Amino acid sequence: MKKRTGLVFFPAFDWSIAPIHPEREERLLYTRDQIFEEGVLDLPEIIEYRPQVATPHEIARAHFCVPGVDDQVLVAHRIAAGAAIRLSDRIMSGEINNGFAIVRPPGHHAMRVVHGNRGFCSINNEAVVVEHLRRTYGIKRIAIVDTDVHHGDGTQDIYYHDPDVLFISFHQDGRTIFPGTGFTDELGGPTAYAATINIPLPPGVTDSSLLYVIDNLVLPILKDFEPEFVINSAGQDNHFTDPLGSMLITAQGYARMTEKLKPDLAVLEGGYAIESALPYVNLAILLALAGRDYSYVTEPGNHPGKIVENSQVTNYVHQVVDQLQQMWDKRKDVTVSQLCGGSKYYQRHKNIFYDTEYFEEKQLEKVRACVSCPGYVLIDSHAAQPKIGRCRVMAISIHNRCCKNCIAEAWEAYYEAKKDYRYSYVYLQDKTDDTFITFRRDDQKEWRTEG
Amino acid sequence: MYIGIDVGGTCTDAVLLSEGKVRSTAKIYNTPNNLLTSLVQALDSVMKGVSAGDIERVVLSTTMITNLIVERKYDPVGLLIMPGPGRKLEHYRNADVHILSGAIDYRGREIIPVNEEEVLQAIKEFDAKGYNKVAVVGKFSPRNNRHELQVAELVKKHKPHWQVEMGHRAGGQLNFPRRVDTTVLTCATKEKYRYFVQSVNEALKKRDIKAQVFIMKADGGTMTLESSEQSPVETIFSGPAASTLGAQALTAAGETSLVVDIGGTTTDLALILSGKPLLSSKGVMVGDKLTQVRTLAVKSVPVGGDSVVEMVGKELIIYSERMGQPYCLGGPFPTPTDALNVMGLTRLGDKDRAWEAMSRLGKWANMSPVEVAKNIINLVVDTIVKEIENMFLEWEQEPAYRIWEVMQKRRVRPQNVVGVGGGAAGFVPQIAIRIGGTPVLPPYASVANAIGAAVARPTLQVTMRADTEQNIFSIEEDGYQGKINRSPFGFEQALDLAKEWLINKASRMNIGDQMQDVEITRREVFNIVRDLKTTGKIYDICVQTPRGIQWHIGAGGKLI
Ligand SMILES: [Zn+2]
Ligand SMILES: [Zn+2]
Repeated sequence: MKKRTGLVFFPAFDWSIAPIHPEREERLLYTRDQIFEEGVLDLPEIIEYRPQVATPHEIARAHFCVPGVDDQVLVAHRIAAGAAIRLSDRIMSGEINNGFAIVRPPGHHAMRVVHGNRGFCSINNEAVVVEHLRRTYGIKRIAIVDTDVHHGDGTQDIYYHDPDVLFISFHQDGRTIFPGTGFTDELGGPTAYAATINIPLPPGVTDSSLLYVIDNLVLPILKDFEPEFVINSAGQDNHFTDPLGSMLITAQGYARMTEKLKPDLAVLEGGYAIESALPYVNLAILLALAGRDYSYVTEPGNHPGKIVENSQVTNYVHQVVDQLQQMWDKRKDVTVSQLCGGSKYYQRHKNIFYDTEYFEEKQLEKVRACVSCPGYVLIDSHAAQPKIGRCRVMAISIHNRCCKNCIAEAWEAYYEAKKDYRYSYVYLQDKTDDTFITFRRDDQKEWRTEG
Repeated sequence: MYIGIDVGGTCTDAVLLSEGKVRSTAKIYNTPNNLLTSLVQALDSVMKGVSAGDIERVVLSTTMITNLIVERKYDPVGLLIMPGPGRKLEHYRNADVHILSGAIDYRGREIIPVNEEEVLQAIKEFDAKGYNKVAVVGKFSPRNNRHELQVAELVKKHKPHWQVEMGHRAGGQLNFPRRVDTTVLTCATKEKYRYFVQSVNEALKKRDIKAQVFIMKADGGTMTLESSEQSPVETIFSGPAASTLGAQALTAAGETSLVVDIGGTTTDLALILSGKPLLSSKGVMVGDKLTQVRTLAVKSVPVGGDSVVEMVGKELIIYSERMGQPYCLGGPFPTPTDALNVMGLTRLGDKDRAWEAMSRLGKWANMSPVEVAKNIINLVVDTIVKEIENMFLEWEQEPAYRIWEVMQKRRVRPQNVVGVGGGAAGFVPQIAIRIGGTPVLPPYASVANAIGAAVARPTLQVTMRADTEQNIFSIEEDGYQGKINRSPFGFEQALDLAKEWLINKASRMNIGDQMQDVEITRREVFNIVRDLKTTGKIYDICVQTPRGIQWHIGAGGKLI
């Protein structure tokens, strides 16, 4: 049978963060023009779908929105996430082989706890799909490859303690760009060691080094991990004309990379060169997914020999790849107890900055270092978000493969937190039976949603 | 008084309407290769006792261009294209195509200039091959037509007698491959279409009719006969569009109806939503060519009154092919029409033969003729109902690019099921029961197409795109591109400009009286922001006269 590619194009022509914000109505306008003018929607390989609207429960499977889903999530976000869900369903039904959600707003900076918008993101479109796929189809192993120029810190945060979701992100080195994270030593928690892989790259990387990283690191790791479903967080800000990133990738480079990664689902993330990059990169990726010839897709002003990589950059990239290859080869020698020093919990403090509204969240995240399951996660979070002022919450997440002991302990922690007057809200996400509970101290109300 | 005429492949149907009533109807079998005769016969038979001076308007629909294209009876066209960078166009890389340098981007900026040497070379080669019709099409030419103009002028300069068509005129929407095909078809059919226009003018002259003359478009609107000469391709599928409008005219105003046209081997489904016929979301395919011509959304189901029915094991199967007349009319195989006859739902054909057909089918499966007939009717109804459901689902699932479009509730089911065509009476009541609508079998259903033509309203649409950073605007339908010369130029001014354009166009076509209620169907504003500064705005505005019908006819033919 012919290869078929699903497309949900949702440019949200009636939504922006602010009139001159990079996330504005105009962002995908020229992409629409290019895709329409090329007639790709008439190709028999490409099927266009209407987005659906993600439900609050579908979002609550991935996020603790404070105080609630409706307070943090706009219709635009629900549609962007719903677009990805729609494609994942069509892929699972076999109607299409792969899909591309060319949607806005993006999501890969949205973390597990949501107090506000970070890096233009409110909810994580990829995480919403991962939870949907696990719950609906019982898929066990999923990989997310983040190819945005920025570190996908939100996705990393959500799956840091999840051994079943491999998160690989390459990006411009965090010392030179937002959000300032994503170094090689961020490898996941003790129960999910090496299920998080960060590949920080120096500014000035061209197509050849990018493809070197894909061939020598990303593809071998994917092969070893054996995912049943691969999602690509397809940010386009590595493009040589992007105003935020300093990389030198072309539309051809993006297409070639897509061809190699063979993602089941690609979801647009960043990319703000809305004229010089997006129309061409989106077109090239779409053609690559559909198995069509993309060799004639070139940006104006780009010609062979124009973009040259500095040899220092090349050497540096090779070193990073070497280092991570070695780590990957030895990952199985590292034990849970080594990683948490033998204690019952592994914990870390986090300061999370919300750059859209300028406030900070402080978190203490604890994971039960269980030897027989991925453990459960406790997050003690407080922030002074502009909407509701200072607020402290406890959020508990139970992995869908948690053992009986862990489930019992997590529920115990939930009851304890309900008694603790310091927490205005207490949340419990139980992925073993797809329930989500919110407790509000104010009026002692508790409500739950179920899938 | 209005006259509607539908020129079909075998028949010409005509109707005369007066004050919302059908005065007379006619069905004329066409005289081969003599359009004029058929037209005059049709006029004569509906105009008995009416003076030519009382005719205010004549509207025609025709399958002529559709048939020309499907049967590939159009003239050869040389193609000069400027695709620039982008998708590889395997489809066009053959001998009669010259791919020229030259590229424009989505904002209308030049990326690569035209190379005149290449154009001259192409002209030479076309000349050597004997072409005298050329289509010139560039990617993004609706955003900047300069390259197309430049190439077309060169061709005209060297070959003044050649017919040259340009993409931005023939296909102003954003879709390059469809623009290419639409331009080629425009170029290929113009001369032949002129014969149609001449025949119509002559026929009217012969009968001394001085009324305004319009031609149906695929989208259910009309254009003046004169202006249609520029875009004959717009008349494709005007026949089905006329039938849908006819069915609409014969039912009550403002309602949501499904039109079921049950023919010999196909059943056509069309949708009228709250009194407005549903348009297809994309251009229509004709022959093997995808065009930019938008039509009413008509879905064809391969089942009809003459479809062949067979018993395979204990199961009845309906085939889409036609193998001749129904058995009861002397044909070779049992058909749904025979089943209708046995159940007393049609008087068509010979009763004994119909029973014979059913009992033959039932013999091996141990079923009585009545059982077989019931099963066949159920099967036909099932097939059609399933496609009706699909049609609604497809409409509900059409892509949406704006939040309000996604959130808008689209679940609608029809109030009426309007039957037209030969098999309608037998099946429509059952289809209506299944989808919970009221069956409607209007009178004059057999000339619904001509009625639809007569009541169709003239329509005009203006799609304007203005880019204030570059100080340019364009009108999609006319292929016009020019400078913005008013200041300030905000949304209000942009809307005014679009409306003025529409009104001027109407008065040029002598239909200024249709301009009372102009609809704004798109109003979009995009901020162009560069380096955190707003450097301009893009306005995307579409204004039109309402599509639809002039008036309704009769009580609507509702069956209680
Ligand atoms: Zn980014
Ligand atoms: Zn455990």
